[in-house]
Amino acid sequence: MATTTTSPPPQSQSQPSSPSFPFPREYFFPAFFTRQTNITIHHAQLTKWSALILAYARHHRLFRITISAAAESDLFFNRGIDRRLNPPDIREVLDFMRKDGRAEFLRPGEGNGAADASSSAAASGGDVVFLYWRKPEEWAALVEAFVEETAQKGSVLTVYELTEGENTRGTEFHGMDNQVLMKALNILVKRGKAQIFGSEDSLGVKFF
Amino acid sequence: MSRKGVGIAAFDRSRITSRQFASHGSSLRATNAQALETQLAVFRSLLQQFAQTHAKDIRSDPSFRAQFARMCSAIGVDPLASSNNHSSGSGNSVWAQLLGKTVNDFYFELAVRIVEVCGATRAENGGLIGLSELRERVSKGRMEGADSISDDDVRRAVETLKPLGSYAVVTVGRKEYVRSVPRELSTDQAAVVEAAQVLGYVSVGMLRDNLGWDEARCKTVIDDLMAGGMLWVDKQTKGEWEYWSPGVMADAGTDGEAGV
Repeated sequence: MATTTTSPPPQSQSQPSSPSFPFPREYFFPAFFTRQTNITIHHAQLTKWSALILAYARHHRLFRITISAAAESDLFFNRGIDRRLNPPDIREVLDFMRKDGRAEFLRPGEGNGAADASSSAAASGGDVVFLYWRKPEEWAALVEAFVEETAQKGSVLTVYELTEGENTRGTEFHGMDNQVLMKALNILVKRGKAQIFGSEDSLGVKFF
Repeated sequence: MSRKGVGIAAFDRSRITSRQFASHGSSLRATNAQALETQLAVFRSLLQQFAQTHAKDIRSDPSFRAQFARMCSAIGVDPLASSNNHSSGSGNSVWAQLLGKTVNDFYFELAVRIVEVCGATRAENGGLIGLSELRERVSKGRMEGADSISDDDVRRAVETLKPLGSYAVVTVGRKEYVRSVPRELSTDQAAVVEAAQVLGYVSVGMLRDNLGWDEARCKTVIDDLMAGGMLWVDKQTKGEWEYWSPGVMADAGTDGEAGV
């Protein structure tokens, strides 16, 4: 299990401090950073990039990236061989991941992310992208299991407690991105498993 | 024999002697063949005995298995041929008879894994995968404690896939590949694939200078290989584009990681 090193506040993006990520072989393959023209290969390339991005994000517990900043990070820029994936290509990979439910573009102006991202966000050029190495549904299941295990059904937890509290230390969602957590919680709300109340900065959740 | 006969009778005599030689020769041949046949029969039964006593080694030790297989093919016994009529007739291979199926199954199972790996990597390498890389990938997918596999095993397993048509072991330059698409490489294409082994990539200029081809020919071959998925283009070079063989991806990891 990913050892939760004291994870920085969730809004941090890129340039993480965790031990170095073991890059896969293709990361050292120069042509991997050029968009391939052959359709079959291009698809294989997208699949490999998608797997790489998710593994990288999982390793560093990245919940979102800013494309312009990430383009300079070692994820997309292999300085060793001086090859980089250009932002338009990054965007294409992320859009490929979006179709797979593994990424979501933050809509410009989307505040506290309850709204579903529009599928056109990719085209409209949002710079911030959520990376779902676990999909919101999977996060929801984890939270639900935690509540079940710790017999906290019926009680009220604050969102802060869920992500930063002592009790959740050691769970996977400890220190997770608030907005992604809200997406997960909203799924539970939709299923009638939870209820969210409170105001912007002191949200509480009651689980059923 | 005295002096050379003279007169008409000499013709007869020479005819007789040559006939005698011939009959003697054929009887010699017959006995020789018979001796060989018994030798082979003895050998076959010895082989069978050997295989039975060493069944475990054959199964578990890849180099021993390879040696044994080589010995079989040297005496003309194809251990994998699926119907061998002059032995017990049940349509089983020699392996199967000798070893109660397991070795035969070993190769068929290996073949299934090979088909899987080839299928999974076809999109990135166009259906041409290095033999040793393939072996490595197949070994990786096997259970802990499973018998190790040699290149020879892979070769043999691919051989069993021959009826499927598209699978074959091809040698390009000094490297062996397993081809999983029904496509033959043209001489030009093979030359380019071979060149790509050396540095990992080729470029139009490189081919032009080293093979003495004109630019159009270089471009055509590269385009063909690109279309077949056997080369990846790298446009981030300082000069002309380079075309990389995806096989490099398999080797690049170890020495590349140190540099970053």
